[in-house]
Amino acid sequence: MADLQDELHPPAEVGGLPQLLGAVPELCASGSDPDADLLERARALLAAHPVADGYSGLPWALRHLPWFDLEVGESAVDTDVPRLREGHVGALMWSLHLPEGLDGDRAVGATLEQLDLVKTVVRNHPEGLRLARTAGQTTDARNCGRAAVLLGPAGAAALGDSLGILRSLHALGLRALTLSGVSWASAAGLTRFGEEVLREMNRLGVLADLSGASDATVRRTLAVSKAPVLFSRSAARALRPHPANLPDDLLAELGAAKGLCMVPLTAEQTGPTVRDVADHLDHVRAVAGAECVGLSGTYDAGTAHPQELGDASCYPHLVAELLRRGWDEAGLALLTWGNVQRLLRESDFTAKAAQQRRPPSTAKIAELDG
Amino acid sequence: MTAEDSSATARELLREFPVVDGHNDLPWALREQVRYDLDARDIATDQSAHLHTDLARLRAGGVGAQYWSVYVRSDLPDAVPATLEQIDCVRQLIARYPSALRAARTAADMEAARAEGRIASLMGAEGGHSIANSLATLRALYALGVRYMTLTHNDNVDWADSATDEPGVGGLSAFGRAVVREMNREGMLVDLSHVAATTMRDALDASLAPVIFSHSSARAVCDHPRNVPDDVLERLPSNGGMAMVTFVPKFVLQAAVDWTAAADENMREHGFHHLATTPEAMKVHRAFEERTPRPVATVSTVADHLDHMREVAGVDHIGIGGDYDGTAFTPDGLNDVSGYPNLIAELLDRGWSRPDLAKLTWQNAVRVLGAAEDVARDVRSTRGPSNATLSELDG
Repeated sequence: MADLQDELHPPAEVGGLPQLLGAVPELCASGSDPDADLLERARALLAAHPVADGYSGLPWALRHLPWFDLEVGESAVDTDVPRLREGHVGALMWSLHLPEGLDGDRAVGATLEQLDLVKTVVRNHPEGLRLARTAGQTTDARNCGRAAVLLGPAGAAALGDSLGILRSLHALGLRALTLSGVSWASAAGLTRFGEEVLREMNRLGVLADLSGASDATVRRTLAVSKAPVLFSRSAARALRPHPANLPDDLLAELGAAKGLCMVPLTAEQTGPTVRDVADHLDHVRAVAGAECVGLSGTYDAGTAHPQELGDASCYPHLVAELLRRGWDEAGLALLTWGNVQRLLRESDFTAKAAQQRRPPSTAKIAELDG
Repeated sequence: MTAEDSSATARELLREFPVVDGHNDLPWALREQVRYDLDARDIATDQSAHLHTDLARLRAGGVGAQYWSVYVRSDLPDAVPATLEQIDCVRQLIARYPSALRAARTAADMEAARAEGRIASLMGAEGGHSIANSLATLRALYALGVRYMTLTHNDNVDWADSATDEPGVGGLSAFGRAVVREMNREGMLVDLSHVAATTMRDALDASLAPVIFSHSSARAVCDHPRNVPDDVLERLPSNGGMAMVTFVPKFVLQAAVDWTAAADENMREHGFHHLATTPEAMKVHRAFEERTPRPVATVSTVADHLDHMREVAGVDHIGIGGDYDGTAFTPDGLNDVSGYPNLIAELLDRGWSRPDLAKLTWQNAVRVLGAAEDVARDVRSTRGPSNATLSELDG
């Protein structure tokens, strides 16, 4: 239960840091760089409230390396254990998304291979990484000095249109699924089978990821889902008109539903500088609420990153910028860690309750959508 | 011993050492009959009108552990997704009947289930097509609880020959040997039912762990390619594995083998494929069956196989794999999963000792799974998971 209390009273931890935060710039004479000081405070804060990163493309990136060692350091990718430590990353969602063209039956097999790869990689780096499924396991891993690895999001095609396969993937550890790119979650929104998939995800505790989903799918999912949803890679469309970014009305709806918008650190979606990313975080927090904003590194996913945020070690720069803007520790703790914990925990509570009410669904796509 | 005596003794024996059955196709039957609507085939109630298997008959049959087959057809392209659905079906059954079934992944789990009076529920995949030439998929099946894989079903796979197909790679290919080694590394039993004799011999050469035949009988007693030749049975003691006798009449009774061959020939003469089930084809088949009655196997037919297998392989290397719900016809006295005591009674009448019967029903199968776990521990300490591919190894 220690981890529960840890999250329920984030302000209590503020008291734990004054010594660290107390190194005030005025005392450090003329040679002192105020930026360096903010960075110092950011690191201290992240040590207590590490980053739970909503999206890492590492599994697919590793698949094409003939040899790698994440423990020592791996320059071919943006993520390795030393840089995760330097960036104070305490948990990551490892994406199981597949490249275009791997669909239909091949998507199921290819997803199994990705799951196997992730498990092998984590097993081979026991000092740095640990698989986790629940909020509690995530906190345990962090308390043991490991970065927790959560499995997902996978693409909806991984289900092969079958709830039985959804349950099997969940049994293998899948924690999030992106609702797009299939007949039952398309531009037209969720079909009847799509809604049944969502209910089964709620029953199992698989989070619905709506980044890249159509507006119709997003609205229907927000209406039907019993558990809070997440956007694994979405920033504010008011600031940057990228299709995966969210308009203000959706951000407000997401805030009302207590979902989570995880802002990607990509030049494409948020802009070329740390300040641009911070602008998005300010905006999402203002519109959706402090409990509904998170971080998504989006490293190793084939996109360019803002300056100073080039790899997984760079989070302190972003947090320093937010400190400069006056974010308080409670707000930052929610941003980096607390909100993801809440989402995982609420999804587990929903699943436990649903399992009392509903048996596993036997619905077939041909019956519901045929 | 009178008939009643041996029947009572058989039941008493099975209470202590229940049957580990190597192969039951209930998941496939549930898929085909009701698309996994488990309410429509509630095995807590009598299902004798539809299935060979339900909980009451498993109990009456003295079954203590069951390898549920997660078989899928080998002639369809979506074997991996369908296998995941079959696995989900078994997991649902276990979750649905917790007082009767217990999930088992290890030999220790099997013993724990026996101690609790529940039926240890294991899974076996039937055919290498279920991994689509991917060792990563093999490991995913293991992670989901699959504890044996039959290397082929009725058709060859790219890397192994089936008993009922034309020779292809001539046994196991290089990739086939890599599959066997990866199974050893995971602790998944190599099942040699359905494979060609050449594949059996290659797998025995390649495997570091005991192998099983999840549902095969003796070829010397009944000459059918699905059965195990004596030279392979003779290798089981040094390998440590076991052959689990199956009851399927058209494999165990020579008259039934001949009858099936004649029936198939009759179909072909009328211009049908021998497995055709169209109304016209069925009419031709029924007419044949009226002219020539189907021979009936009995408990004694199966006991003949076990006598021979005990003689050749030894009492430590035999077991039982009924293939219920995977076959349309069953022997008299072994009509469904409640029939095992009849077989044990027959063996008692033939002079089998209690320790021999305990090995046959329970102890051998538990030992073999435990041995595979031990080998896996050893291999894992020296070797990482393999990502060898078919094209790399077989060109």
